[in-house]
Amino acid sequence: MTTTTLEQQVRAAVEAVPDPELPPVTMGMLGMVHAVEVVGSRASIELLPTFAGCPATEMMERDVVAAVGAIDGIDEVRVAFRYSPAWTPERIDDEGRERLREFGIAPPTGTGTVSEVPDDARRLPLMGRGPATGHRACPYCGSDDTVQDSPFGPTPCRDVRHCNTCDQPFEAFKEL
Amino acid sequence: MDLDLTAPRSLLLLTLADDELVTGHRHSHWTGVAPSLEEDLAFSTLAQDEINHADVWLQILVGSNDRDAVDALALGRKPDEYRHAVLCERPPLDFAYTLARQWLYDHFDAIRLGQLADSTDADIAAVATKLLHEERYHLEHADSWVRRFSGDDTAREKLAVGLRAVWPEALWLFEPLPREDEMVADGLMPTFTASWLVRWAELMVAMHDEIGLADTIPTDLTMSGDGWVLPDDFFATPGGRRGVHTEDWTSAWEEMTHLHRAHPGAQW
Repeated sequence: MTTTTLEQQVRAAVEAVPDPELPPVTMGMLGMVHAVEVVGSRASIELLPTFAGCPATEMMERDVVAAVGAIDGIDEVRVAFRYSPAWTPERIDDEGRERLREFGIAPPTGTGTVSEVPDDARRLPLMGRGPATGHRACPYCGSDDTVQDSPFGPTPCRDVRHCNTCDQPFEAFKEL
Repeated sequence: MDLDLTAPRSLLLLTLADDELVTGHRHSHWTGVAPSLEEDLAFSTLAQDEINHADVWLQILVGSNDRDAVDALALGRKPDEYRHAVLCERPPLDFAYTLARQWLYDHFDAIRLGQLADSTDADIAAVATKLLHEERYHLEHADSWVRRFSGDDTAREKLAVGLRAVWPEALWLFEPLPREDEMVADGLMPTFTASWLVRWAELMVAMHDEIGLADTIPTDLTMSGDGWVLPDDFFATPGGRRGVHTEDWTSAWEEMTHLHRAHPGAQW
């Protein structure tokens, strides 16, 4: 019989908290949990926000405090958001990608030019820079015949697309 | 909370936050009234991004995500205590002006973030790197609209009018910050704003040449041996970075801070 430590319990609880704007995926699946530490009855949790402009972070903090605070042996919960290492879509695990697809959101391909930073004039011709969001397959029918309708969508991390095969609008998780 | 708002680190972070906060506030004008649904989404998202970026810079400044402390800085200062460039406080006027401003401002912001990614301050460097990724969407938005505008005579003339209005004040994005010498000396800011101007102007001039609108660029900007420069006395009188703003800011400030002043401590 194995013993689950309090710290493992806390980590499991944090990882199981759903994203308030994408309920089928959890913070664990999204790879947002950076560090979990328990000292005595105090839990300290460090999270990586997906987009710095994500208004859901305050809800996540509240949900994490509630989930961890309910664990026997925990009296105090501290949540901090950190920006280094920067969260990138590669952190989303396979289960998270599948759940996103089922939810009608094309997961990031992970092939975007993630580390390209627009700080150098020579790499910035007027239109020549690669698109921040590459092509995506339709999450419903799998067709590759899709177009991006709008680079901005209902949340900072999603854009709006259309499938020409099944004629269905869908969203895609941005590459960053 | 003992926070010295005149310390170099505070001055830098307030400038970063105020540019983004006021830009976001002005972008939000288009929510519900943009020329198309896509642009409604675009400017609403741009506004949300910029206001949240301001929020993150202020969290770094207060050293926590304490909502009251952050709001007190974002919404609790007097109008002349804000350090954004005057360009950011102007009303949106028309869509061409809005786009011209977004184009010039976001390329400035990307260059600034690229420099601050090398700050000796670990928090500033981490946030700058993070925000740089997100700003790509802003650059793509502005670049693609400028390309579309420049392909049609009527739209191109509207863009030219917008650019002529934006340019003289866009140069003031590069007004040196108070205590900038100290910021650069300790690596908080790896380079002087004058060197950001060189990079930005090189990029913008090349883009203007490409779309045939180079005649909208003010003649203040000239090429010297080391690149693009402004006259020595260009920033002789204080501007936004030193708290000097316009009537447009007075009315925007009243609107932006109204809820905070009417209901201190109000939460969503």
